[in-house]
Amino acid sequence: MSALPSRLQPPSVVVAIVFAALVGGALVLAAGVNPLNAYHQILVGSLSWGSLPDTLNWATPLVGMTLAAALPLRGGMINLGGDGQMVIGGLAGALTAIYLPGPGPLVATVALIAAALAAGLYAALAAWGENRHGVPMLISTLLLSYPAVGITSYLVRFPLRDVTTGLPQTALVPPSARLMVISDPLNIGLVLIAAIAMLVLYVDRRTVAGFELRVRGANARFARYGGVRLDRQATRVMFASGAIAGLVGAIIVLGSQFRFIDGALLTPAYTWSGLMAALLVNGEPAGAIFAGLFFAALQTGGFAMQRETSAPRVLTIVLQSIVILFLAVRNGVGRRAS
Amino acid sequence: MPTATEIEAVGIVKRYGALVANDEVSLAIERGEIHAVMGENGAGKSTLMSILYGLTQPDEGRILLRGREVRFRSALDAIGQGMGMVHQAFKLFNSLTVWENIVYGAEPRRGLLIDRREARRRVAELAGRHHLAVEPDAVVAKLSVGVRQRVEILKALYRDARILILDEPTAVLTPQERDGLFAVMRHLAAEGRTILFVTHKLNEAMAITDRLTVLRGGKVVARLRTSQTTPREIVRAMTGRSVNLSLDKAPVRPGAALLEARGLTLASPGGKPLVEDAALCVRAGEIVGIAGVAGNGQSELVEVLVGLRRPDRGAVLVGGADVTHADVAARRRAGIAFIPEDRASVGSALTVSAADNLAMGFQRQPPLARRGMLNAGAVAARARRLIAKFDIRIASERAPVGSLSGGNLQKVVVARELSHEAPVLVAEQPTRGVDVGATEFIHGQLLGERAKGRAVLLVSAELSEILALSDRVLVMYEGRIVADLPRDEADEDSLGLLMAGRALEAA
Repeated sequence: MSALPSRLQPPSVVVAIVFAALVGGALVLAAGVNPLNAYHQILVGSLSWGSLPDTLNWATPLVGMTLAAALPLRGGMINLGGDGQMVIGGLAGALTAIYLPGPGPLVATVALIAAALAAGLYAALAAWGENRHGVPMLISTLLLSYPAVGITSYLVRFPLRDVTTGLPQTALVPPSARLMVISDPLNIGLVLIAAIAMLVLYVDRRTVAGFELRVRGANARFARYGGVRLDRQATRVMFASGAIAGLVGAIIVLGSQFRFIDGALLTPAYTWSGLMAALLVNGEPAGAIFAGLFFAALQTGGFAMQRETSAPRVLTIVLQSIVILFLAVRNGVGRRAS
Repeated sequence: MPTATEIEAVGIVKRYGALVANDEVSLAIERGEIHAVMGENGAGKSTLMSILYGLTQPDEGRILLRGREVRFRSALDAIGQGMGMVHQAFKLFNSLTVWENIVYGAEPRRGLLIDRREARRRVAELAGRHHLAVEPDAVVAKLSVGVRQRVEILKALYRDARILILDEPTAVLTPQERDGLFAVMRHLAAEGRTILFVTHKLNEAMAITDRLTVLRGGKVVARLRTSQTTPREIVRAMTGRSVNLSLDKAPVRPGAALLEARGLTLASPGGKPLVEDAALCVRAGEIVGIAGVAGNGQSELVEVLVGLRRPDRGAVLVGGADVTHADVAARRRAGIAFIPEDRASVGSALTVSAADNLAMGFQRQPPLARRGMLNAGAVAARARRLIAKFDIRIASERAPVGSLSGGNLQKVVVARELSHEAPVLVAEQPTRGVDVGATEFIHGQLLGERAKGRAVLLVSAELSEILALSDRVLVMYEGRIVADLPRDEADEDSLGLLMAGRALEAA
């Protein structure tokens, strides 16, 4: 069946990264820092034995959001509402874990399921809007994100606020309902996202649903002609995408922050990094996972660079953007020539 | 008789990467000549015409206009030197009037303003002189395809084109409109204008041209004088082999009705219905042809039959069972296979492998799938079998189909749909843009289906195809089925009149 898409074949990606490194190096130089030292710090700060756990911890939500974006993209659809779905999942997870009585592990499991369900249904709303009323998901997913963020923000500022702290956040999740720690800072959320990544790969490569989604991505009219119900497929895919985003929100809440803090899920911009990683490979899952990991390493390394040199962390985001731009240029040129 | 050479191409070479689209092509056309450029798809006709019209620049070679070397850097350049071209897809502004389209870019002016009265007068005068009846103030969107073509020709003549390139101009015309076009072409040639007629239709080239040039694989393989050649010789030049032009069609006694439509109506938002009260019946062992000028509701009728659109009224029955409310997958299960009109945007996914393209429509059933799991081995094995059986020229089943020629891509679609072994086959323009060899093959397959007792509904804009294959012929005009004729009562003239919306009695 389908191999890696051509845009992820080694030479072009390597060339794009090298180019980005050169341009980034020039920027670092302009900031008065030795570029070799900066890159050394990024590398050590992300991939050395000591920093690998931090990278994986950062990669867990980022790869999760990459998968949430990649799934619809694989079928030529787009989910720009990751932020909204993530906070809905995060809040649903937090509330379940805080208020549901019962044995801890069971409560945590139920909380995760509740998060996935709530966010999945919220994302499926966009599919319903397109199927029934012709509202493009490109617009509706993005616009549905703002009320979700706003309402969760209101809830934790007023009715659900932990009055003892004075901050816009919920009460703490009881320790028994938190995600199991593997070895600090890693928790079972990493395993969960890894399992979801495997599942997405498997569905894409081996199942009828994956085949139909891939074909839709290549030509939706052909998929319809072959008997695929595009409306139902869109609903299912958006539900799955939203469910993954909700799960990411709940994993952060139950695994590292232990409460829903207003804005805390969105500050690292996982949704947008994930979307970029997925766009880079047009939603092809293996490539998307790889790209998500790469961005996670880059961003984690950026913290180290900022610590060790005077170059600001924001540089890694610039690097990330340049990599994407170079890859996009290559693709654009390639498309026109063919 | 023409004497002086009007335009000459010498040793034209054009490469696209490894592909040599034009390989040392030379062509000399005399003033006042009607000259056919023939060849299969991919033979290099379009490339050559683009070069002559200044749309592309050759890598090597020269163009001589009346003995003087010219170099067209753009189409505007070529137009300035007296070239004119009527493309297959018309390049008109649909919301503007006829005269506005014709004078566009070369308007008569009075000060800063367009001199409308003068423009209208010139257009009317030009139309009258060349017997191209058009209404200068009509809006193009409301005109029939045949009239739009006249507007295109007038646009070129308004700029005083001495050499006119007509790219497959008859594809969209009824036989009567075609004859009208031929009269205009003869008139223009008699005036000393030179016409390059790009076509793949043998009888048209035989009927109208003085000489023909045949291209194959980017090279000129034959230069023939029309009066001294035969269709057989032209086909041999085009294909490099002899092709059987006549079809063996054994008599088959039709059986039970397998595909029926009753009172199908498809409304269009705020206009005439796209399909209006259409009824038809295709029986086992029968090919029913639907003739009609493109855009008279044939595509919409087919979409309703196969489940891609819901009708507003009426019913569709497959094997006697009502499938009006069934979706595409359910209709396929009920026994409809479908070769769509547009193989590239509906019938295949170009970036996807041949194996996956061939699997579509079978992806949910054994042996390709079991309990939601796709068996990659079975998908590949099936693809290899069909590629061999239908002689599809492709490197491997893993290669994407986007690189295939039109004929080979169509074979992928035909192979997939016939392998359904469905009782009903709906074939929409099955040989459009397909070379002679593949056309012969596909026609053979359709007749094979008929012999196996299947019901075939054939929709085609090519009357010759309808007449060669059908047992009965329906004619569609403005969304209605206006005639249902047994094959022996249908001929080009009667169908042509019906296609133009005229009743037979009135003719």
